[in-house]
Amino acid sequence: MSQSPLTVIHLSKHYQNKKKSLIVEAVSDISFQVYSGECFGLLGPNGAGKSTSIQCITGFFPPTSGQVLIEGYDVHRQPRQARTRLGVCNQEETLDTDFNVIDQLILHASYYRIAKREAYQRSQKLLEQFGLMQYIQANVETLSGGMKRRLQVARALVSNPSVLVLDEPTTGLDPDVRRMLWDVLVAARQKGVAILLSTHYMEEAQRLCDRIAILHLGKILDIDSPDRLISKHIIREMVEEEVRPGVIWKRKPNLEDVYLKLTGSRLGIEGL
Amino acid sequence: MSDSLWNIQCVWKRYYVAFLKSLPYYLLTTFLEPIFYLLAFGIGVGTLVGNIHTQGRILSYRSFVFSGIIAQTLLFQGFFEGGFGGFVRMYYQKIFQAIAITPVTLSEVLWGELLWDATKATVAAEVVGMIGVIAGHFYLESLITLIPVCFLGGMLFSAMGLASAGYSRTIDELSYPQYLLVFPMFLFCGVFYPIGNLPRILQYIAWIFPLTAVNSLVRTLTLGLPFQFMAMGIMLAWTVIFVWIARYSMIQRLVK
Ligand SMILES: Nc1ncnc2c1ncn2[C@@H]1O[C@H](COP(=O)(O)OP(=O)(O)O)[C@@H](O)[C@H]1O
Ligand SMILES: [Mg+2]
Repeated sequence: MSQSPLTVIHLSKHYQNKKKSLIVEAVSDISFQVYSGECFGLLGPNGAGKSTSIQCITGFFPPTSGQVLIEGYDVHRQPRQARTRLGVCNQEETLDTDFNVIDQLILHASYYRIAKREAYQRSQKLLEQFGLMQYIQANVETLSGGMKRRLQVARALVSNPSVLVLDEPTTGLDPDVRRMLWDVLVAARQKGVAILLSTHYMEEAQRLCDRIAILHLGKILDIDSPDRLISKHIIREMVEEEVRPGVIWKRKPNLEDVYLKLTGSRLGIEGL
Repeated sequence: MSDSLWNIQCVWKRYYVAFLKSLPYYLLTTFLEPIFYLLAFGIGVGTLVGNIHTQGRILSYRSFVFSGIIAQTLLFQGFFEGGFGGFVRMYYQKIFQAIAITPVTLSEVLWGELLWDATKATVAAEVVGMIGVIAGHFYLESLITLIPVCFLGGMLFSAMGLASAGYSRTIDELSYPQYLLVFPMFLFCGVFYPIGNLPRILQYIAWIFPLTAVNSLVRTLTLGLPFQFMAMGIMLAWTVIFVWIARYSMIQRLVK
């Protein structure tokens, strides 16, 4: 059995309120592996449990049960060893606004014990790759939303991780920035990085991911390649959808149809 | 263990570098403020009040208040850096969250925060001490023996601030500990007058608050006033308690 850089085993996470009376089962018993050079997608709408899963996978939240292994280390029990090979881009903006663009990356590298000279070279390369070279000395707060997101993804890569975890990296971005990020992820994947990416864009998942886990109310409904998910769950060649009263679109089935079918919400699409 | 220490110094260094980057701002907030207090109370009020009696000694009011401002500097620097600074880093900048997904753990981040805050408070307090030496109130050697007391005191008040930040839902809520804890200590714990001047019951209450103990230790070291053993115990106990609460509240708040 080849060892996968990221292994998630029967992971569950339940949130409790203060009095421990209300329990939210945000993630229930999910298992999957992400291999080197693979882009794995966690696909689900808001509230599906993507961020919760990722907070457990990065070792920030303790899981209610189950285990996460990064390069064989339990992220909860041995966070220091496990996270040495992990790069993370959280859903929220977490840039250190006390540091300018390049210093930000060098600082982050210092948490991984990367020497300053090496960190500087890597940071420069990353800023070039992300089209941020002209902002190298800029104050982070002066950057646009798209530039901040790019910087945050660049920061996740500064430690040369073998596992890269990104929580909705393209949400709210302009199409051109989104494309640039896609290119960067494809390049990282080519270099053998195992990528775990959460998204609620079906199209993005279909385009970028080798395999997708469809997440719904904290449970994985199915895991497979986008094509196989579609061929497995949608029998017809074409689906029909009434987009406006009287206007019917005939089109090829896509992941969205699979999602709607698996979650049992058909919403008037014929052929599922 | 040594890995952990390395990570903590790594976080400490982040604060140190950030400090150097905004040095003009920090020079203003870290050093100018205590100097204003020194001028207002040492020179201003000090001219009105000649000598005072405390703990069986007679000393100049100016010396008395200079050493009081050392303790008060620890309180203000520690509380405001741990409280308001800590809240901004935790809530707005999300620095704790950003570092705690690297090989550095949240626990190490919080130790780094507290150690830096204590360092900064110590440096500010020592600057006041240095002015006191130049003005002829203390001996230079006393500044060295003062370092551990300043560091622990700085840690105590930083932890008080960080704990407050951990329990405040908004940055405005930090006004509660500021007005209910910091300002009363500033006024009633012996910075400006010997607490022996207060009614007995208020003296007992004053001793509950940690600034009284810190003041007592600082005065023993700088002015040679008799050592009060309970001051040591009270300061150590409060330091342990507040460091524990600060770490507990932050971890509870961030880690679900
Ligand atoms: N800190 C929390 N306490 C209680 N419930 C939470 C907390 N965070 C998220 N949830 C709930 O857990 C579920 C999954 O949320 P989340 O993981 O943020 O989903 P996603 O990232 O896919 O939008 C939602 O129902 C959400 O309301
Ligand atoms: Mg989310």
